[in-house]
Amino acid sequence: MSDDRFDDGFGGRFDDGLDDALDDGFEDDEFDLGSLEEELRQAAAILDPVPAELCRIAVEAYALHDLDARIAELTFDSLTDAIPVRGAEDVPRMLTFHTGGLTVDVEVSEEGLLGQLLPPQSASVEVLHGPRAGASLTADAMGRFVCPTPPTGPFALRLRTGGEVVVTEWMRA
Amino acid sequence: MDRTDVGALVRSAVDGETAAWKALVEGLSPLVWSVVRAHRLSEADGHEVYQTVWFRFAQHLGRIREPEKAGSWIASTARNECLKVLKSLRRLTPTDDPQLLDRASDEPTPEQSVLDAEEAAVQSERVRFLWQELEALGDRCRQLLRVLISSPPPSYQEVSSALGIAVGSIGPMRQRCLRRLRARLDARGAL
Repeated sequence: MSDDRFDDGFGGRFDDGLDDALDDGFEDDEFDLGSLEEELRQAAAILDPVPAELCRIAVEAYALHDLDARIAELTFDSLTDAIPVRGAEDVPRMLTFHTGGLTVDVEVSEEGLLGQLLPPQSASVEVLHGPRAGASLTADAMGRFVCPTPPTGPFALRLRTGGEVVVTEWMRA
Repeated sequence: MDRTDVGALVRSAVDGETAAWKALVEGLSPLVWSVVRAHRLSEADGHEVYQTVWFRFAQHLGRIREPEKAGSWIASTARNECLKVLKSLRRLTPTDDPQLLDRASDEPTPEQSVLDAEEAAVQSERVRFLWQELEALGDRCRQLLRVLISSPPPSYQEVSSALGIAVGSIGPMRQRCLRRLRARLDARGAL
């Protein structure tokens, strides 16, 4: 069985110790299992529903649907694409977004957010944390911008440069 | 959710129909939430992952190539974000830290909501048993079942995207896990 793939790198440590011999010699009745599954579904709806405030946020997120802006896709994330340095702690998170001819390099650390546009150019930069307006920054002629506070939770950058609007993919810093 | 429904709703939402977007949130939120719960993220991390998934889905809405597969798109986005959270935690903490592998919710247990409904006392006891046994099941089974039991029931394609397992192995694993759960309930005399 290929269920060995089902472990996200935790190794086989999550076996519950129940003997698999249980699985054999069982005249299975799918009806029974189906009703157990249905019972679990009801239990999940009672005991572990989606928190109402999250549903509300998801509904409001419709406002983020913007066909006019170009999306700068995440092309590098140090969390998954860089080889970790043993023993190094508090390494800044490096992110690269790319669209067409524009690259946005972002470094997120406890000190805040450092950005660099390539090719270098001035731009107005908005740090979004959700559907509402966010902090406004300016990229200088060298394409650099700074936000003194690190983003908490999901964030995206909306850049206006040369009459064009570019939004980076939503990320969790 | 039905694939043709999802596809139609995505197209309507792209065209500006708020009601279609709401229906997508209603139909796919439990799936996103189940992926978050299956990965046992902390409350704060789980909420952020959930939001990130919906923000990104809204952002990409008009650019999703196969709208009828939006459920899978959203499920794999949720899975990737969950894995990123686990990876960043592992980087900060020694890997063997059992707390990391079993991060329980910071909030009061959800069972409280059932305890409050006294008229449903007998039924709620059964529900609590079920939930306890599900939580105590091996992690692979717990993960699989947690995603499978989201409501409306996800397609196997969506489950596959949510957990990174082959579609073909979901059916057999599901049977095996449900049988295990039933055996545990049996042993407890709760069936």
